[in-house]
Amino acid sequence: MRITQGCFSFLPDLDEEQIKAQVEYCLRNDWAIGVEFTDDPHPRNTYWEMWGHPMFDLKDAAGVMMELNACRKAHPDVYIKLIAFDSTRGFETVRTSFIVQRPKVEPHFAMTRTEVRGRTVNITLTERA
Amino acid sequence: MNEHVPATEGEISTGTEARPDGRVDLAEDYRSSGVADVLGELDRELIGLAPVKNRIRETAALLLVDRARRKLGLAHETPTLHMSFTGNPGVGKTTVALKMANLLHRLGYVRKGHLVSVTRDDLVGQYIGHTAPKTREVLKKAMGGVLFIDEAYYLYKPDNERDYGQEAIEILLQVMENHRDDLVVILAGYADRMENFFNSNPGFRSRIAHHIEFPDYADEELLRIAESMLAQQDYRFDAEGRAAMEDYIAVRRSLPHFANARSIRNALDRARLRQANRLFETGALVDVEALSTIRAVDIKASRVFAGGLAHERARDA
Amino acid sequence: METKVKEIKGKERYKSGVLKYAQMGYWNGEYEPKATDIIALFRITPQEGVDPIEAAAAVAGESSTATWTVVWTDRLTACDSYRAKAYRVDPVPGNPGQYFVYVAYDYILFEEGSIANLTASIIGNVFSFKPLKAARLEDMYFPPAYVKTFKGPPTGIVVERERLDKFGRPLLGATTKPKLGLSGKNYGRVVYEGLKGGLDFMKDDENINSQPFMHWRDRFLYCMEAVNKATAATGEIKGHYLNITAGTMEEMYRRAEFAKQLGSVIVMIDLVIGYTAIQSMAEWCRQNDMMLHLHRAGHGTYTRQKNHGVSFRVIAKWMRLAGVDHIHAGTAVGKLEGDPMTVQGYYNVCRDATTKLDLQRGVYFDQDWCDIRKVMPVASGGIHAGQMHQLLSLFGDDVVLQFGGGTIGHPMGIQAGATANRVALEAMVLARNEGRDIDAEGPEILRAAAKWCKPLEAALDTWGNISFNYTSTDTSDFVPTPVAAQ
Repeated sequence: MRITQGCFSFLPDLDEEQIKAQVEYCLRNDWAIGVEFTDDPHPRNTYWEMWGHPMFDLKDAAGVMMELNACRKAHPDVYIKLIAFDSTRGFETVRTSFIVQRPKVEPHFAMTRTEVRGRTVNITLTERA
Repeated sequence: MNEHVPATEGEISTGTEARPDGRVDLAEDYRSSGVADVLGELDRELIGLAPVKNRIRETAALLLVDRARRKLGLAHETPTLHMSFTGNPGVGKTTVALKMANLLHRLGYVRKGHLVSVTRDDLVGQYIGHTAPKTREVLKKAMGGVLFIDEAYYLYKPDNERDYGQEAIEILLQVMENHRDDLVVILAGYADRMENFFNSNPGFRSRIAHHIEFPDYADEELLRIAESMLAQQDYRFDAEGRAAMEDYIAVRRSLPHFANARSIRNALDRARLRQANRLFETGALVDVEALSTIRAVDIKASRVFAGGLAHERARDA
Repeated sequence: METKVKEIKGKERYKSGVLKYAQMGYWNGEYEPKATDIIALFRITPQEGVDPIEAAAAVAGESSTATWTVVWTDRLTACDSYRAKAYRVDPVPGNPGQYFVYVAYDYILFEEGSIANLTASIIGNVFSFKPLKAARLEDMYFPPAYVKTFKGPPTGIVVERERLDKFGRPLLGATTKPKLGLSGKNYGRVVYEGLKGGLDFMKDDENINSQPFMHWRDRFLYCMEAVNKATAATGEIKGHYLNITAGTMEEMYRRAEFAKQLGSVIVMIDLVIGYTAIQSMAEWCRQNDMMLHLHRAGHGTYTRQKNHGVSFRVIAKWMRLAGVDHIHAGTAVGKLEGDPMTVQGYYNVCRDATTKLDLQRGVYFDQDWCDIRKVMPVASGGIHAGQMHQLLSLFGDDVVLQFGGGTIGHPMGIQAGATANRVALEAMVLARNEGRDIDAEGPEILRAAAKWCKPLEAALDTWGNISFNYTSTDTSDFVPTPVAAQ
């Protein structure tokens, strides 16, 4: 199952030049860029592992690509995303994020329904390989 | 670590297309790429340094021809652009590096054209595992521009084989080789120490194609530098003041820690301090003339004329 | 304007009888608003023969302390400070007979944190006042001292995106259609299909409450099954705006509680429930980590005509203070009224940290929002995938684009309709970020994506040429009106 989190999941996977172009867009906006990875893509998994700190004050995408490639080499079969942080007052949050690597086999989520009061159903999502 | 953003964010020009008759107009490329402007600035803004200016002109010509060859389909490979700038302190190495970054950007050999200027402390950490991230952090910031490592030989400490500098050197060498399209590295420092450094680290020598030597400024050049520094701040010498400065330069050169233009800047800072005190103590009304004139007494009061600063005499004894 | 009308002071001022409003102190051409004054800008059309200055003073008077005659009880109060002051009258460019009137109000006139109290003064009586043929509240300025008495949006754009984990692109939604008649089970089907196909939100329509064909509990249960199932199917957080609009506050709270119990991230209300009910629901949402979606049902009755009513930019400002997270603010290119620049003005009011005076977009004041959160505008009504470049270019990233018919009416089905919209959106954001000129190259970018995405190809073939090119009524008085969707 293709997990559709992130900004460009409905497009074919981005190639190196496309990723670089998005990084350049982030740098033009003065956003810091982080590389994060996980083997647990549950939609409520907020904290993926950080591959180092977000990168501040870069001028060129090559620096981000160097870290991304190092992360890919160390973790070839997990999800990796790039994530851009904006420190502008009133935002101070992520401004874009997109997946740049997926595992060969993506998991799917099973729904467990627990019937409670009335017709209410409590639902739990569980990851399955 | 210092970061310099290019003053003119010039567009990268790919030069003129080959003409229908299969020729390339190098003179037009020279103008339209903005290289002519940068070299012009270099000439106007930097006093002296004739050999350096020549070398830069040659480098620019080489790169213009390289582009022309590429356009006409002749054999070419991405030229190695890493450089070493050798010379004593205060001879304009950082300033020239800034111009070089701009020049390389105009010609399309670096994408962004900024200069990141560092020393050993910016690259080498204090404990195990600290150095690699530090060095990588600097390299990432420099990508797309020029990394200027001042007194690069401090990275290498032959008397301590577990020095963390070695780790920084290895990462640098790797990036200088694998990321030639992404950044240009300039190593800078005293000529003799740099020579020793290259002898002990042949990896650097083989990756550096351009060695540029910066001569010391002549006395007369330093005097012109002094006048130009004053003029930028709306000061000037009177005739006696100018003569005193000439004497000062001759004496200062023979003392320890002479740093060319930097020594001049420091001397002028102190001269302005003395001028201010002199004006204040007279208690008289002052006019534009008085406020902007540096006189002989403002220079001659320098301890340089008494044989240098006391602590320097003691240390160098 | 000639602005020399003499205010009558002292004993003469309080003699029984009828004075002109201007003479009673409601006009002061030299007045400089204080840093704590609230300012309202009215567009007035005085009756034939009524002096615009006197009409302006009447507006100030009728929206603050005045009555039609002199009352001695004024003298028991510091009445000078309670009088609103009209201080500037400008003829409206190109509209003879109409005037812009600036009126300043001391902040003692308003209860803190109450839109109801504010509006009871500003639009209370004055719009029915006989000497005016028509009046419209064009814009308002609120000083920080007043803004800070409101809590603003319970969630806001930043936190909404963090909760949904969706960044860097507009959100996508659709209104479930047909709006009336579907049973709960059939309705939930539409929700599931739309969300699974790629939308972020589905939405109840404004008049879906609890009718005989579908009671609200059924709707909530089926919709949340659909939302959770779509989340599981995509690994992405999904939502459905559950409309909790009802006849009483008690019933609305009951519905909101049930939505929360089922794990919904968002509830929805209609503008027609009234300002106080909106503020109450905002408070409930703040206490319950819930987003609040506002449908602007009914606004067209008073926002559309330029000479009379209340501009939508004022409604948007009130709603940001009142505290909603989403507000329908127009599409410019869709089926409903809206001139592009005027609509951009509404969006800016919702999203800016500080809104700058911008006459071309109908914004008449600098407005510091004092760090209250930002409202996500919603573009909904007659828009389709073929307009994606225009929508992104007009509104940027912080907007919900709602394609109702454009999703559910897709010839290959609802999922395909949703996918077409999502692919069109992502392709356009990608291209914009790469530095391409999407205004010029938009159609080409869409066609390129349609080459590998059949649903998008079908959407473009079906709706590619549909546009709603009618002249807008509510346009700026300061620029020639651009026509949308060329």
